[in-house]
Amino acid sequence: MTMTAIRDGARLAVLSHRFEAIVRRMSNTLARSGRSGVLNTARDFSCCILAADGSVLMTGQSPPIHVMGGPDLQARSMLEFYPQVRAGDAFLHNSPYHGNTHAADHSVLIPVVDHDGRHRFTVLAKAHQADCGNSVPTTYLASARDVYEEGALIFPVVRAQRDYADCEDILRMCEMRIRVPDQWRGDYLAILGSARIGERALLRLADEVGWDTLDEFAAGWLDYGELRMEAAIRQLPAGTATTTTVHDPFPGVPDGIPVSVSVAVRPDEGTIEVDLRDNPDCVPSGLNLSEATSRTAALIGIFNSIDHTVPHNQGSFRRVRVLLRENCVVGIPRHPASCSVATTNLSNRVGNAVQRAMAEIGDGLGMAEVGSGMSPSEAVVSGIDRRDQHGPFVNQIFTGPNGGAGAPAADGWLTMSDLGSGGTLLLDSVEIDELKQPIVIHRRHIDPDTEGAGRFRGAPSLHVEYGPVGTHLEAVYANDGSINPMMGAGGGQPGAPSAQFKRDRDGELVALDICGPVTIQEGERLVARTSGGGGYGDPVSRDPHRVARDVREGWISRDRALAVYRVEVDDAGDVDPERTARLRAGVTIGAQS
Amino acid sequence: MASERELRVSVDIGGTFTDLVVEEADRLRLYKSPTVPDDPVRGILDVLSVAAAADGQSLTEFVARVGTFVHATTRGLNAVLTGNAARTAFLTTRGHPDVLLLREGGRRDPFDFTVPFPEPYVPRSLTFEVPGRILSTGEVLEPVDLDAVRALCARLAALEVEAVAVCLLWSTVNAAHELAVGAVLDEALPGVPYSLSHTLNPSLREYRRASSTAIDASLKPLMATYIGALTTKLREAGLTGRILMVTSMGGVVDVADAAAAPILTLNSGPSMAPVAGRAYARSDLGADDVIVADAGGTTYDVTLVRRGEIPSTRSAWVGDEGTGHLTGLPSIDVKSVGAGGGSIAWVDPGGLLHIGPQSAGSVPGPASYGRGGRRATVTDAALVLGYLDPDVFSGGALRLDTDAALAAVTADVAVPLGLDPVAAAHAVLDLTTEQMVRAIEEITLQQGIDPAGAVLVGGGGAAGLNAVAVAKRLGCAQLVVPAVGAALAAAGALMSDLTAVYNVTLPTLTTSFDPDRVNAALAGLQRQCREFVAHVGPGASEPSVTLFAEARYPQQIWELEVPLRVRSFLSDQDVHDFAADFHATHEEILGVTDPGSPVEAVSWGARVTVPLRRDTALRARLGDSAVPATRRAYVPGRGLVELPVRALSSVTAGEPIQGPVLIESPFTTVVVPDPSVCELAPSGSLVIRPVREPGRLQPTLIEVA
Repeated sequence: MTMTAIRDGARLAVLSHRFEAIVRRMSNTLARSGRSGVLNTARDFSCCILAADGSVLMTGQSPPIHVMGGPDLQARSMLEFYPQVRAGDAFLHNSPYHGNTHAADHSVLIPVVDHDGRHRFTVLAKAHQADCGNSVPTTYLASARDVYEEGALIFPVVRAQRDYADCEDILRMCEMRIRVPDQWRGDYLAILGSARIGERALLRLADEVGWDTLDEFAAGWLDYGELRMEAAIRQLPAGTATTTTVHDPFPGVPDGIPVSVSVAVRPDEGTIEVDLRDNPDCVPSGLNLSEATSRTAALIGIFNSIDHTVPHNQGSFRRVRVLLRENCVVGIPRHPASCSVATTNLSNRVGNAVQRAMAEIGDGLGMAEVGSGMSPSEAVVSGIDRRDQHGPFVNQIFTGPNGGAGAPAADGWLTMSDLGSGGTLLLDSVEIDELKQPIVIHRRHIDPDTEGAGRFRGAPSLHVEYGPVGTHLEAVYANDGSINPMMGAGGGQPGAPSAQFKRDRDGELVALDICGPVTIQEGERLVARTSGGGGYGDPVSRDPHRVARDVREGWISRDRALAVYRVEVDDAGDVDPERTARLRAGVTIGAQS
Repeated sequence: MASERELRVSVDIGGTFTDLVVEEADRLRLYKSPTVPDDPVRGILDVLSVAAAADGQSLTEFVARVGTFVHATTRGLNAVLTGNAARTAFLTTRGHPDVLLLREGGRRDPFDFTVPFPEPYVPRSLTFEVPGRILSTGEVLEPVDLDAVRALCARLAALEVEAVAVCLLWSTVNAAHELAVGAVLDEALPGVPYSLSHTLNPSLREYRRASSTAIDASLKPLMATYIGALTTKLREAGLTGRILMVTSMGGVVDVADAAAAPILTLNSGPSMAPVAGRAYARSDLGADDVIVADAGGTTYDVTLVRRGEIPSTRSAWVGDEGTGHLTGLPSIDVKSVGAGGGSIAWVDPGGLLHIGPQSAGSVPGPASYGRGGRRATVTDAALVLGYLDPDVFSGGALRLDTDAALAAVTADVAVPLGLDPVAAAHAVLDLTTEQMVRAIEEITLQQGIDPAGAVLVGGGGAAGLNAVAVAKRLGCAQLVVPAVGAALAAAGALMSDLTAVYNVTLPTLTTSFDPDRVNAALAGLQRQCREFVAHVGPGASEPSVTLFAEARYPQQIWELEVPLRVRSFLSDQDVHDFAADFHATHEEILGVTDPGSPVEAVSWGARVTVPLRRDTALRARLGDSAVPATRRAYVPGRGLVELPVRALSSVTAGEPIQGPVLIESPFTTVVVPDPSVCELAPSGSLVIRPVREPGRLQPTLIEVA
């Protein structure tokens, strides 16, 4: 295959390293100086550099849902409200109606302005907050009928620094409305510090090589991204597919939310089109997607399905057309529809449907569905810590992620968490969680036989049980996948549905609603099973040795190996090749018929 | 007779060569002999024989003169990487069998779905849950069930387990359950080595502690055998001196201590380069902030010295970050990138140049090696630019094929980029420089060091190609290339001290500081240090003990190490000073501070050092003094020109040499592509002061005066 190459690939390579280093530096600052668990433990944050016109240039190792289809909208909204940005400005932005993901992701945008006052680049740092002033202590309020009931403070591009000095009134407002204000202030400083470090590094780079060189780089880098993406798409088979999925019933949406996506791959044009318009209007719930998460979810589904070395910048994004509709639940929300849970539940449903559509367009393409839902294992927990002299606490814990999806060449990633995070989030240490919050984590382990079976299987569910120590605990979660599990692709099977229970003082399990909040008293436990990932390809075509290894290692039972994968595993844990061959050929064996 | 044991030697076993550095009266000599992979001790005796022959002595006569034998081995590391350590069982708290499997989550490349989820260090089938639970306060929620542990031991025996790792939740706060399990193991599985997490690595975070414990236990059988063979054969050869092993912390320990806790020596490979780098930066320039770059055939390892101390990390991975295994123990902080001489240069379909991560290694090696390698590498690019002498590469061990290098660079780089071969080769070195700089920036950023204020020390066979360019890019005012740079690690081993680190987990807030408990912990740590000093015996000078805390702002999760000014906290002022030191450290490393916030110390530690030699500079001159010559080589902005070539051994003290020039020693070439000035230091090092020039991406013509 031939393609046109960019000019000056040597210089572009050197400068791309420099830009990557700047993003890494921003991320490092944010990770290490942040205060809340969601920021520093789970690393739910992102940093990126944008061209002056808002094009996404460099995103680093960020959760994909943060950085693909939103930062450009945010940067453009900044210029809409502040056509004349100045050096020393910093803008707080968390408005899902102006390009942000959802209200709990506080972004700081800093315009990088040269000595002549010309706006050259924009740096953006964004981090999920432990609290954002919602009406109840969670940053994912699925039951909110609108943004008013959600209650979050919304900052639609609000100047938080001028001439490098804080606009203190903004910070005071936040401190009056955000729970655990010191923690928020610490996180805010970390975000701002990260963006300022990015600004300073770009100014220094410009001193060294000149702004014109950086402008040339920006244009060249986007062209390179587009060339790579075009070439990748030209290698795909032409085709269209429409896939559907349903989000579980939630408060405000008693029948759940059906989602339909249509994907068209056009190798002759080197483009892909994703149409999300044939979907319901916005709902009286926090599940509505923001424009940023609608676009990004579709992009993630596509980029998960192609050569992963294609750069993720506005150049490659140009080759994917995402069609959205105003006032659509997976489109462009109309204020005051709430988008409180926009980064997880329906985003995951959309992205999963897109990558499954890609699998329908060609074998060896696309992926099965990644586990989804905010299980009680990833709840926002709050209460009063009565140990020593601690006081109130509120924090999101990350004790048990959902399983990853089977892919054309590998099994699902065990700690994938969900599609939007791309598995980048870290998992909490049991000891750290027990030190920070008055909780005991009694169990955390994989749940056997919960994987979506396939040629490459999904990752299994995790089983997590925890409860309070010396106090009671409020846990807010917004699960999905308990009724409509994660589907397989290309003949693969669905993963196990998620589940949630309370274990009472007698050890009995009581089923809980899929959507919190729930109060857990001392002596009780909250029990969560996360979503298993879907499988890719027919399980009967799975390498029998992989099946035997799963049996030996306790991921699946011998019975399941036999019934689902049609592999006979002997007492020593090895494949019985003859019986397996006969089983797979459809021959009935003795009593196991 | 002790007075005759005037030699100190160190041996470093590499993939291709076993290096020996001999110290005699403050002078260093360097010898190499092929590594014997299936009998590494044989390789050690071989290289000792080479040195003996150079002195006109028999091996026995030579070895009898050795007072100290320092050894670094990658044997444990290789066993972990290849899965060839002992069959190890993992005992964990009930309900938590997947500590080693889950690790700490995370994924390096969110869009790469071709990489499978990594295997746990101990398989689930050899993982067993122990009933019993301790809380974060040390309180027992559920007593340990020792009958269950006894029953488990019978299963372990039946499974023919060779080692056992025990890591229970909160054992660092209350060790009773782990100790009880240990007692049952002693009784029920005599002779099966085991490791308990709270004694090996008393730190917070169960995955890290469990990983340390599992790795340590799994290495015990193997390392006991290796160390036994090494000691026996060296003694048989006539060695009466002390045998020491290099640790991951940049110190040495007695060989018996290394066998008892084999994880201590796991990452010994790169840990000695900063010890040598620190010594040369100090003796040559009196500098205390140092970046040490060791450029080998496949990797470029960067380590640091900050204010005379070598910073450590608790996030050292064996294998790839995130998918390998964390050692969990403090280890010299090292950043490795695949930017060695063998790294492959290639252009992707979009026209972008890349270096690595694939490497041609030493087999097949670069195209110019003529061993079947066809792809262009960094070494090939350097040859095209005239930076290497094809006839005397690596001490004359290999003849390089210039035509093959030119053909590879032309086909793989020049044609796809639309450049001429020389410009393409320069682009390769330029991007390699950038990758090296990126590695350096990453680690200096982590450790809060400004590269522009530091001295760069270049070691390793490939260091000289880019060292000046790297120093300029970082803004370093001075660059040191030690004469023994090609064996920097082995030289460092001779300059290292006996060291140990002790830790205790005791979370304490400065606002509710409990001096009695903290002081008791500090006293315990100092007692452990005194016991270590008594155990290892007297050194060359007084031992030193440094106390430190690992602290953070409340709610943060990563701690910073803060040295303590006091041995015990006697007043509020002492606590206040500690908080102030933390704020200053936070500002230095992370760029922000929150002076109004309390400080939470999570754990307390002590580092004890027993010096093994007086702190004097070691001198070395390698090679014969050859006559100055010239070679056609590339100067940015001028192209291929006739450049002077000087042998390092011909440079005299006080003689300033101005670039552009190539300075060669038997194992490396230092490329000075601009008018930077070089001088010889008394230690034999080459000291270079790079010229400042703005806008390196827009090279301007430099006129040589």
